[in-house]
Amino acid sequence: MTAPVPSNPPATDTQPTLSVQGVTKSFGRVQAVRGVSFDLRRGEVVGLLGPNGAGKTTTIRMITGYMPPDDGRILVMGHDNVRDSLAARRCIGSLPEAAPLYAEMAVEDYLDYRARLFGLARADRRVAVAKGIDRCRLHDVRRRRVGQLSKGFKQRVGLASSLLHEPPIVVLDEPTDGLDPTQVRDARAMIRELAESRTMLICSHVLSEIEQMCSRVILIAGGRVRADGTPQQLAARSADGQLFTLEVRSRDGSSRHLEAIFMKVQGVVDVLESNLPDGWTRLKVRTRADLSDPRERLAAAASDADLVVRELSHASASLERAIVSLLESPEAAA
Amino acid sequence: MSTTPALQPPSAISAVSTIARRELSSFFRLPVGWVAIALYLFLAGLVFIVATLQPGGPASMREFFTLSGWLLVPVAPAVSMRLLSEERRTGTIEPLLTAPVSDTCVVLGKYLGGMFFLACMLLPTLLFVAILYAVSSPAPDPGPIAAGYLCLILLGMFYLSIGVLVSSLTSNQTLAFLGTFFALVLIQMLGGVGEYVPAVSRDIVRHLDVLARVADFAKGVIDLSHVVFFLCGSALFVVLTIVVMESRRWR
Repeated sequence: MTAPVPSNPPATDTQPTLSVQGVTKSFGRVQAVRGVSFDLRRGEVVGLLGPNGAGKTTTIRMITGYMPPDDGRILVMGHDNVRDSLAARRCIGSLPEAAPLYAEMAVEDYLDYRARLFGLARADRRVAVAKGIDRCRLHDVRRRRVGQLSKGFKQRVGLASSLLHEPPIVVLDEPTDGLDPTQVRDARAMIRELAESRTMLICSHVLSEIEQMCSRVILIAGGRVRADGTPQQLAARSADGQLFTLEVRSRDGSSRHLEAIFMKVQGVVDVLESNLPDGWTRLKVRTRADLSDPRERLAAAASDADLVVRELSHASASLERAIVSLLESPEAAA
Repeated sequence: MSTTPALQPPSAISAVSTIARRELSSFFRLPVGWVAIALYLFLAGLVFIVATLQPGGPASMREFFTLSGWLLVPVAPAVSMRLLSEERRTGTIEPLLTAPVSDTCVVLGKYLGGMFFLACMLLPTLLFVAILYAVSSPAPDPGPIAAGYLCLILLGMFYLSIGVLVSSLTSNQTLAFLGTFFALVLIQMLGGVGEYVPAVSRDIVRHLDVLARVADFAKGVIDLSHVVFFLCGSALFVVLTIVVMESRRWR
């Protein structure tokens, strides 16, 4: 049960540090999670997104070892988190939603207690607690009781306590909940810094945050993974299609009706034209979502029509819109 | 990444003692702990003055120990109601159960924390013993007093084990208190109903009669069967609590 985990895991960056394999979980008749699978690797910051009741928290709770899956399995740094639960739990630092803490304990005492629970020896504990206080800027409140702290400070105490044992995998449920804008910025910077040598799984409702922090987004709805990819890929998969900005000018300077030229390109569903100074025209081209990158075809069409192109770019579609449309389309299963 | 502490879960003993120590210190950080101690000492003091400290009476604490058994009926649930219910209510159970400690360690730590608190509560009553020694001549017989304290500890263990089981079943402290309280009252009353139950079950009831066992201890008799009864009873309920905790994960 207590097989030591090498502190420098042999896991290369191609080997998953966290592997969720077809897990399911039911509560009575309600199937909360119906077969979720994904692999996370070192250095990844992954956002877990989904509407309320999608199964996010249940999935996280199964990963952290709070509850075992009904079916499927979860490997944490190679440890099965049911059969070798303690070793698996030792590799994870987790911050549950709303950061539950013992209100009557002083911040420092609480951190020391957590470090002790994770098996840190006295000297390591002192270092870890000092580092936690430093990392989450808790100097001013180190002797205050947790119950007297504001929500933001409680959140930071929870965050500090989840990192004491320097876990290779960090699971955070709503980490910036209750923080003010400055603190949110600090927390993001911290998460980015932590991510360099770790695997981070972050559950958040704040889409802009996921977009900024995460290199990958897993969208869960109805207990299933609905989409898995970079925020850009997800945005592109929006049923609204992809959006491109094109700025062109005809070589002879004449102003022509350009809409028709691009409407003929395969996959284009809509073109919006607006005139710019000096004879340039800006076109917003919307293409179907299911086709491959149409930029090459757009450029070819422009050159066939003898147009000068000064810009052809992928207009970033909003992740929010993409997610809403992914959730609304029933066939969009990943 | 700078220093990475060795990734090894704590030993079972260290896990249990960490949880027990936190539990004990929390009792003293919260009003409930001090109120429980104050109420217990007030009533125990009253019992001591009324029943033991009588001029011309025998220099023994027999009455004190007998009545203390009753005093534990409201006190033990007050101590045990927090142990697991509170964790579930506030959600702190989640970081606890995702720490690399087994459910057995969690339950044992919680139970021992409560037990140490009960012991702390009994500690000031040694003052009563000192008073009795000071005012009585001839000096009281130390044997029954030692037996009495052993009895209170054993009884406390037994009652607390029932309390921790009830506490693991609900996230509502009031419910945990009432459930334990009524269970303990029922156990205390078993001795009284012995003669009204059918002959077949009379033996069983007699075995479960806690008060008769307490009375023996108060007389100064340390019967091994009584000791075994309390220890086994406590172990049974603690094991049941561990089973409940483990099964709750699967729900």
